[in-house]
Amino acid sequence: MIRIAAVGDVHLDEDVVGRFRPALDGIAEHADVLLLAGDLTRHGTEDEARCVATEFGGLDVPVVAVLGNHDYHCDQVPQVVRVLEDAGIVVLEGDGVVLDCTGTRLGIAGAKGFGGGFAGRCASEFGEPEMKSFVRTTSGIADKLGSALRDLDCDARVALTHYAPVPDTLAGEPPEIYPFLGSYLLGQAIDSADTALAVHGHAHAGTERGRTPGGVRVRNVAHPVIKQAYSVFHLTESPGLISG
Amino acid sequence: MIDEYTEAEVQRALAEDLGVAEQGITVARRENTLILCGEVESTHRRDEVLRLVRDRFPGVEITADIGVIRAGAPTEVEELT
Repeated sequence: MIRIAAVGDVHLDEDVVGRFRPALDGIAEHADVLLLAGDLTRHGTEDEARCVATEFGGLDVPVVAVLGNHDYHCDQVPQVVRVLEDAGIVVLEGDGVVLDCTGTRLGIAGAKGFGGGFAGRCASEFGEPEMKSFVRTTSGIADKLGSALRDLDCDARVALTHYAPVPDTLAGEPPEIYPFLGSYLLGQAIDSADTALAVHGHAHAGTERGRTPGGVRVRNVAHPVIKQAYSVFHLTESPGLISG
Repeated sequence: MIDEYTEAEVQRALAEDLGVAEQGITVARRENTLILCGEVESTHRRDEVLRLVRDRFPGVEITADIGVIRAGAPTEVEELT
């Protein structure tokens, strides 16, 4: 069994430092890894990244993160990533990492993702350069996510994104904004590998549970959705998990 | 009367003002009142949301129901079998 803790959209700044920490100290009693599903900062400054490092650094389990749209706002992504990595947090963007969880190899592939919408109501790579660029951004990220998932040499695969790979976990959000909340291309990438679980954030008014068309469990762990410091998932006997 | 342009301006200001940067606040019109609902990460941020709307839209009557998201340790796990 692998125990996965996850939360997204914590939007750290000085005023929030210390709110999560009491629940994070001693997290190894409850989880083997903590996943952070993007929007770690309020608007993506190096100072805010230091708040994330203070709150989520130095835990007794590995911490693996992707960034979210808020973390891009101030155009300081390299500085934000450096601060997080200096705190021992693994930051994924189109790549993956394999962790040894008491003898079972957990593979995590991650990417921020982007928008575009879902089957039958999605944007197309057509028309103005801005529109084509929008869709190409998502398809490029999805391609890298799919490759990273398939390349993982592990016993169980988990996909970590900020944007949603399915519309199921957006229920509660206005349907008009679904194209800004996720893309079916991310779901297709997740289904291209033997993925056991997909975790995302971004949709504050969404719901927790969904599935990709290929049957992969999807969980929206945005903090406003789960309303606790993190959620914990036990992966047992699931597709993609070979008993070790 | 608050029109839909004001509603749109408030929604954008909440996201685009760097002192607020909130995309999770629902803005709705009800007669002469603007209803702000949602959850934020601290009481300070709730205060900043209200301050922004009052400062930028001084003639707008506001009703706010903005909570602070709980951040306690989980009490249950989900078994994915």
